[in-house]
Amino acid sequence: MILFFLTSGLFLGWSLGANDASNVFGSAVGSKMITFRKAAIIASAAVILGAVLQGAGTSDTLGKLGAVNAIGGSFTLALAAAVTVYTMTKFSLPVSTTQAIVGAIIGWNLFTGNRTDSGTLSKIVFTWISGPVLGALFAVLLYILIVKIKKASKIHLFRFETFLKAGLIAAGAFGAYSLGANNIANVMGVFVPAFNLQEIDLGIITLSSAQQLFLLGSIAIAAGILTYSKKVMETVGANIVELSSEAALVVVLAQSLVLFIFSSSGLSNFFVRIGLPPIPMVPVSSSQVIVGCVIGIGLWKGARNINFRLLGEIGIGWIATPIMSGLLAFFSLFFVRNIFNIDVGQKVIAGAAPDPVVTSDPAVSEIVRYILLAVLITGFIVALYYYLLDRKKKRELRVSEDKFWHYLK
Amino acid sequence: MALFKRTTKDLIIKIDEFFDNVELGLLVFRESMKSYIDKDMEAFNRHLQKVDTLEGNADKLQRSIENEMITHSILPQHREEVIRLIDEIDEIMDTVKKSLNEFIIEMPEIPAALNKDIVSLADASASAAEELIPAARAYFITPYTVREKLLKVYYFESETDKIAIRTKKRIFQEMNEIDLAHKAHLRYIIHHIEAISDMAQKAADRLAAMAIKIVI
Repeated sequence: MILFFLTSGLFLGWSLGANDASNVFGSAVGSKMITFRKAAIIASAAVILGAVLQGAGTSDTLGKLGAVNAIGGSFTLALAAAVTVYTMTKFSLPVSTTQAIVGAIIGWNLFTGNRTDSGTLSKIVFTWISGPVLGALFAVLLYILIVKIKKASKIHLFRFETFLKAGLIAAGAFGAYSLGANNIANVMGVFVPAFNLQEIDLGIITLSSAQQLFLLGSIAIAAGILTYSKKVMETVGANIVELSSEAALVVVLAQSLVLFIFSSSGLSNFFVRIGLPPIPMVPVSSSQVIVGCVIGIGLWKGARNINFRLLGEIGIGWIATPIMSGLLAFFSLFFVRNIFNIDVGQKVIAGAAPDPVVTSDPAVSEIVRYILLAVLITGFIVALYYYLLDRKKKRELRVSEDKFWHYLK
Repeated sequence: MALFKRTTKDLIIKIDEFFDNVELGLLVFRESMKSYIDKDMEAFNRHLQKVDTLEGNADKLQRSIENEMITHSILPQHREEVIRLIDEIDEIMDTVKKSLNEFIIEMPEIPAALNKDIVSLADASASAAEELIPAARAYFITPYTVREKLLKVYYFESETDKIAIRTKKRIFQEMNEIDLAHKAHLRYIIHHIEAISDMAQKAADRLAAMAIKIVI
């Protein structure tokens, strides 16, 4: 039953994987620099690593916005966010999972009578604007740098393109890692305060309760990438690649940096140590950051055909998504509590420590352990299968090549 | 991935080799025209054989470059254009070979008064094609210099046109001692020599567009 409540979060994770993986590997796949299969495998592994190793920071921020203290509440919020994302996508409106989940949390706060922390909220809203702006800035700086290096080094186009290809794969993997670290909070953040699972000791690392949830969420994201992101990647890639291959790399790199910055507690601590204000750990929308990056490069190159309609739509998305998701969450919570008689959370008394309703359940941790094992074994088998398939293809190609040159002689 | 293999390096070498073949072919073409005018048929035949070998090499390299670029997904965004450019440059070599073959088959009789004109026509036409090669090489290393290099191609192409018109005018308006069939034959031979610079101009136009695309 407990695992059933997680399904809405897993669904949200799946849709996030299907949509947002295109932002990190779209340009590489769209330009045929890397096959979808390779991109999907790299992205899936990197997303899982990012979420498990570095996903805590952004989840804490969402927890501060509203500590959903009942599993029924978490389920309803994730479902409301998922339905909002699905509906807005259906109407081709640019939508961010982050904004949907923030709206849903505010809806929960309103429903349960909890106060929404205006400081945390303003911090989150600030990053929605600063994310794309920072993305644009990074993109312009990186673009200038890469063009200068290319000009100064007089590198052969083929060699440069080969470096770009390697760069796109590395940046894509970094992007997927950052995506996992930054956006896992959207998928599993609402479940964290409501769960208290037993730790799993894997020998090398120990998975805490939150990390186990992040692992499940990131597996859902990986499933989204593997099963549904191909078409999106090819479409997004074709649109971005219009820029040029170096611009495509810059866009992915800039976007990854922004996502990384807003999810790296180490970097934030370093800022504090050198006397700068800390970086807010907030989930940001990768799609909106990428639009910022593309517009940044476009402006730098003197493009006059900036799509202001798209900017307007993003602006509408900033307002419409949280409102729609918030309202949906509010009414859904009402139904879940009054019709299905499920606890969706209560008002947190000031000063009292949040009390998780779901306490340690060894069975859940056991299931997580098995899922982890299954994922590792499946991953290994799939990687081996594709490696052998690739080798066979290459061998066949070599034979056909030899035949071709033999007969040509 | 190509980065960790010799594919990229091999391909760069092959492209350079291809250009070397074309440059050498054009040089030999120039020499063979001089030999023909000097009526040194032995040298002409030797040159023709050399051009034949170079053209064959260029053909092989062209196929191999095309093959590797597709197989190893090198330069996917500009691949089609690079392949077409190499194809067009290869056509220049084909035209050189074809022209020399026309000479050996038809053995056109060139009046002594036209010797100088024919040599300068062949020179100008070969120069147009020769100037294309550094520009094509620059596309891969310094694409922002391609357009200025191409100016020489356009210059020599227009020079070729001027020399061809002047020579044809001389043949048809001033040389009354030769019959119409001979005149028509000479015009046909001039067309063949001119074709080299025309092909060079066609490739230059493509290269100019490619250079803008890659720089922007």
